Amino acid sequence: MIRKYLKQSAFALSIFSLASVAIADSDPVTIYGVKSLSGSFASYGKYADMGSKLAVEEYGEILGQKPVYKVIDTEGNAGKAIRKVQEAINQDGAKYFNGSTLSSTALAIGKEVNKSGGVFITPAGADELTGVSCNSSTFRWSVPTFGAIHETVKPLFTEHPDKKRWYTITPQYVFGEALLSNAKTVFDELGIEHVGNSYHSLQEQEFSGYLTNAMAAKPDVLLLLNFGSQSSNALRQAINFGLKNQMTILVSWSSGLEQFQELGTDITENVYFGAQYWHTVDTPINNELVTKVKNAYGITPNYPLAADYISTKLLLDAISEAASTDSAKVISNLEGRTYEGPTGTESIRAADHQVLKNYYLLKGKSAASMKDADDFAEIVSSGKSFPEESSLACKAI
Amino acid sequence: MNLYLFQALNGIGLGMIYFLISVGLTIIFGLLNFVNFAHGAFYLLGAYLSFSIVSLTGNYWLALVLAPISIALIALLCEKTLIKRVYHLPHTYQILVTLGVALIIQELCISIWGPIGKNISPPDSLKGVIQIGEFFYPQYRLFVIFFAAVVAIGVWILLDKTKFGALVRAGSEDAETLSLLGTHTHRLFSITFALGVGLAGLAGVLAAPIKGIHPFVGPEILGIAFVVVVIGGMGSFTGALVGGLLVGLVQSLMTTFWPQGASLMIYGAMAFVILLRPYGLFGRA
Repeated sequence: MIRKYLKQSAFALSIFSLASVAIADSDPVTIYGVKSLSGSFASYGKYADMGSKLAVEEYGEILGQKPVYKVIDTEGNAGKAIRKVQEAINQDGAKYFNGSTLSSTALAIGKEVNKSGGVFITPAGADELTGVSCNSSTFRWSVPTFGAIHETVKPLFTEHPDKKRWYTITPQYVFGEALLSNAKTVFDELGIEHVGNSYHSLQEQEFSGYLTNAMAAKPDVLLLLNFGSQSSNALRQAINFGLKNQMTILVSWSSGLEQFQELGTDITENVYFGAQYWHTVDTPINNELVTKVKNAYGITPNYPLAADYISTKLLLDAISEAASTDSAKVISNLEGRTYEGPTGTESIRAADHQVLKNYYLLKGKSAASMKDADDFAEIVSSGKSFPEESSLACKAI
Repeated sequence: MNLYLFQALNGIGLGMIYFLISVGLTIIFGLLNFVNFAHGAFYLLGAYLSFSIVSLTGNYWLALVLAPISIALIALLCEKTLIKRVYHLPHTYQILVTLGVALIIQELCISIWGPIGKNISPPDSLKGVIQIGEFFYPQYRLFVIFFAAVVAIGVWILLDKTKFGALVRAGSEDAETLSLLGTHTHRLFSITFALGVGLAGLAGVLAAPIKGIHPFVGPEILGIAFVVVVIGGMGSFTGALVGGLLVGLVQSLMTTFWPQGASLMIYGAMAFVILLRPYGLFGRA
C-alpha cells in the first residue's frame, strides 16, 4: 500500500516538475531595469528607464516570445536596491539586469547578480566595476576614468599648448581620486604643471572657497573632477566668480545633455566638457536612436537614455544570438562581441567586460550659434583610451 | 590681497546667505514654538516660482517681489488648513506633518518643472565681478549680502520696534493671556508663519542664481538652516545672524586650511557650540 502510494507520489511529482520546466521555458525573456526613479538621482533614472523600455518594446521575438521589461526603483539607495534585486531573483527568478547610475549601487548589484548566476550591464562610473571588483556577470558600457581623462586633457592641451598651469577641484571619494590620479599621470606625460588641488566632500554644494583657492594659484586651466549637481554648482559658481574670463574650464565627466539643459548657454558657452555620449554623433545607430526617441518621447536622447538603451539592446541581442536563456551562454556571447553602437563601432573586452567605445570632448556653444534647442555643444574630439590589457586590475574573469 | 583675508570676506558673504536661509526657520520656532521641517521645501518652491517668473517675463526683480509674496500666501493657506491643527501637539507630530508637506511640495515641483535642475542668471546689472586685490568677487553675491543686511534690519525693526512685533513676542510667551486681552492670536500666528515661510521663499529666489535649482535641494537647505539655528540658539533672531556668519566663516576658511573637511567642520562648529552652550549662543533654556 505504502509502496503504491510512493510510486504514485513520485509519478505526480515528476509530472509536476516537467510541467514546471515547460512553463519556465515558455516564460518570455525578462529584462529587469534597475533605475533610480525616485530619490536624488531620479532625473537620471527617468531617462534611463525610457531607454531600456524603448529597447525592449522595439525588439522582435526572442525564443518565440516578445521580451518583457520590468523596472526596479533603486531609490538611489544601494541597500534598498539590493533588497529589491534579491526579491526579483528569489521570487521571480530574475536573471538579466541593466542600469544603476550610482557606482555603489552598481557594485552591490553586480555582486548579487553574480552570486545568482545572472547577467548585469551597467553605465555606472566606478573603475572597480571592471577593475578590482570585476566579476563574470558584470559588464560596463561607460568609459572608465582613465579614458575620461585621456580623451579630455590631452586634446584640450593639444588645442591650447600654451596652457601649462592646471588646477584641479576633486571630490574626495573613489571616483574623484581615480580621476585625479589619472590626471596627474597625464600632466606628467604632457609636461603640465599641476599648480594645486582642492579636495571637497561628497556633500559639498558651495564652492566659493575652493574657487578662491584656485584663483590664488593663477592657473591657465581649471579642471573640475566632480560629477552631477556638484560639477554643475562648481561650474555655475566659477562663472559667477568670472573665472571663465581668466582661465579655461574643463569638466572632465559631464552628465551630458541634461547638464547643458540645466545650466544654459550663459554658463556652458566656451566651457569644455567630457562626455560619454552626445546626440549629434554621426553614426547610423545614433541617427536611428535620435529619430526613434523623438518619435517615441518627443525629446532628444541624452546620456542615460542612450546608455541604457544600448545596454538593454546588447543584452537582448546576446540572448537572441545565444538562442538560450542560459547565462553562461549569454555571457560568452557578450565577451569579445563587436557591434555598431551609438558612438560608432563598440566592442566588449573579454578580459574585464569593459565596453571599448568613444569618449568625447565637447565645447559649449553660444546661444546665437545653436541650430536647435538642444544644440548646446560642438564635438571637439573623440577617441578610445583604455588601459592596456596587461595592466588590468580585473583578475576574477 | 592675502588668501585668508579674502576667504574671510567670502565667508561673511556666505554667512549672510546662510542667515537668509535660516532666519525664517528661527522666527517660526522662536515665536510659535513650531518645528517646520518644510522650510527647505518652501525655499525650493520660492526658487522654482522665481524661475517661472523670470522665464515668462525676463525680469528678475519682479520675481524677487512676487515669488516670496506667493510663497507667503501659500504658507498662509497651508497654515489655515493644516498647520494650525498641530500647533498644540508635541514636536514629533509637527515634524511628521511638515515632513509630509515637504515631500508633497518636492514631488509637485518635479511634476511641474521636471526632474532636471534649472538655472537662473543674475540680472544683467549684477552680472560680472569686482576685483579686490588679485581676487574677484561676483557683484551678485555682493548684492545678496547687502540685501540680506537690509532684510535683517527690516525683520529686527518689525519684531522689536512695532506693535505687531510686541504682540507676536507676547503671544509666544503667553498666547492665552494675549487672547483674553482681545488679540486674535490665531491670526497673529498665521501671519507669523507666513512671514517665516515667505523669508524661506525669499532666500530661495536670492540663492537660485548662486546655487541653481534642483528638486532635491530642500533637505540640504534644511540641514544648513538647522545648523545655523542650533548654533545661534533656537528662536533667536540675533543667533541666526551670528550663527550664519560663523558657519560661513568656518566653511570658507576651512576650504583653505583643510578643504576636504570644510563641510564637516560646520558640524564640528555646531558640536563645539553645543558643548559650551547647550542652548546655542543666544538661546534661552
